[in-house]
Amino acid sequence: MFDLTPEERKVILFLLTIAIIGAGINFLAKVNAPLKNVIFLSPNIAKVNLNTADKDLLMSISGIGEKTAGRIIAYRKQQGAFASVDELRKIKGMNASRYEKIKDSVVLKQ
Amino acid sequence: MKHPFAWLVFIFSLGILAASLFRVSFETVYLLAAAFLTFCLVFSRRKLIFVLCLSCAVFFFGALSLKNSRILPKEHISRFIYYQSDNFFCLEGLIDNQPALVDNKTTFIFKIRKLYSKNAQFSCCGKALVYVKGITGLAYGDVLLLKGKLFRPYNFGANQRRGFRDYLYNQGIYAFVRVRSASEIITLERNKGLGLKRFSLRLKSKIEAIIFKQVSVLTAAVLDAMLLGEKKFIPPLIYKSMMQTGTVHILVVSGFNTGIVAFIIFLILKLLRLKRKIRFILALPCLVIYCFATGASTPVVRATIMTIIFAAGFLVKREAQIYNSLAIAALSILLGNPRQIFDIGFQLSFSSVFAIAYLYPKLSGFLQTEKLKIRLLKLLLEGALVSFSAWVGTCGIIAYQFRMFSPVTVLANILIVPLAGFITLCGFSLVLASLGLPPLAPLFGATAELAVSLLIKLNLLLLKFPGAYFYLH
Repeated sequence: MFDLTPEERKVILFLLTIAIIGAGINFLAKVNAPLKNVIFLSPNIAKVNLNTADKDLLMSISGIGEKTAGRIIAYRKQQGAFASVDELRKIKGMNASRYEKIKDSVVLKQ
Repeated sequence: MKHPFAWLVFIFSLGILAASLFRVSFETVYLLAAAFLTFCLVFSRRKLIFVLCLSCAVFFFGALSLKNSRILPKEHISRFIYYQSDNFFCLEGLIDNQPALVDNKTTFIFKIRKLYSKNAQFSCCGKALVYVKGITGLAYGDVLLLKGKLFRPYNFGANQRRGFRDYLYNQGIYAFVRVRSASEIITLERNKGLGLKRFSLRLKSKIEAIIFKQVSVLTAAVLDAMLLGEKKFIPPLIYKSMMQTGTVHILVVSGFNTGIVAFIIFLILKLLRLKRKIRFILALPCLVIYCFATGASTPVVRATIMTIIFAAGFLVKREAQIYNSLAIAALSILLGNPRQIFDIGFQLSFSSVFAIAYLYPKLSGFLQTEKLKIRLLKLLLEGALVSFSAWVGTCGIIAYQFRMFSPVTVLANILIVPLAGFITLCGFSLVLASLGLPPLAPLFGATAELAVSLLIKLNLLLLKFPGAYFYLH
């Protein structure tokens, strides 16, 4: 049958042992490892603060043009600050569909 | 047993096949493998018992390799795909191959690192096939952040025997990502990934550009497939006709193409009058680059590993045995991904080489080709025997997988393989001439055009033979 020298047998056995142990470790690592690096991001991340944003930042929101941005800043100066996102409805030209489009892109922080 | 290594790889492959047929837990297979390994250690001085125990240990090691490859970690991308989910995910990862742009749609393999879902970020792993409409400028090694929908791969059509899903699973791809538009992809970093692979793929793009600049679209498509394994530009009718004559292997880069590339590299190095040893040392990195450039498909990896073994055998002044080198190539591929054994490319590549290595010397001895004095007749007969051996080795797999039987294959290969070799040489000469002697390039291009046209016409003529091929139902 096999014409293996003792050294060849030792090498084959050594490699096979290492491979089988490695397969076991790999299996255990896959089965028991928990989900790593779960980071909960703030839902307000990447939203524009209505009470501090300047005209350019407001205009970066889809649905807000130059005129609307100017009106938002004017309203903010007049009222002091936005108390709720809902107050955006009071801005001239802000119809229901436009408000629905914008409301998820803005947040209120003092 | 003259080829112990080949025997062990055969047993290892049997273990993989057995694990795919029987439902046994990983733990049971592991315990059996460990038990037989212990017997090997105990009976290491008793020849017969040692061989039996070693064979059993290797068999169960093959089985547990497949079981292990099927167990996916919790952070694997496939675990985030929910049935009929409408959720969009943001994925961060690296492009793992050369993106292909066909019909205004870009596809690439994406190696995922992070996944963002709703308000959480997860560490993620695994590969996904990404589809995006009309984006260019992406390359291997780009780190992207993209937003898309996740899907499980599915089989197209009713033929479940060789479905697209199974093909993707065998490649380790468990998810589709559909990105709506290019604006939903942000490039975070460039030039990451393996440097050698990046270089190889850039070289491939440059060679492709040269080919398409010098010859007509059809010739360029055939040259692109023969030289670089890129068959996306081949007209479907031509591809199908070559499949029917059993000569499609010349269009998908295989061991044949690697052999020609090796021959060209050795020839160039010989022309430079370098010593034989230095020629071997210099040729090997070139072959590895070619292997990466062609997408490292199984036949090319097999041929590259075998060439490296033969060259290493020469360097250490030992003759490399074909069965053992074939076994090492198979083991290298199967240890990386045991599911490759179910891949048709793997089966065809190894069965054809095995059949040539086993049958050809026997047939040649039986017909006493050595005694033929007319050189041309001898070459023709030897070519026919190689072609016949490869056909015998692969006809069973082709009949089972493609439900097709092509008796014309032997004749087709005798005629088309030398022509394909000539076209490949023309193609490489065209590329080298374009770089070094541009005025010569159109001349090589014209010859390539003629040879490709002859190849297509010859193939169509062979198909007209009565009983050239038929489908099995």
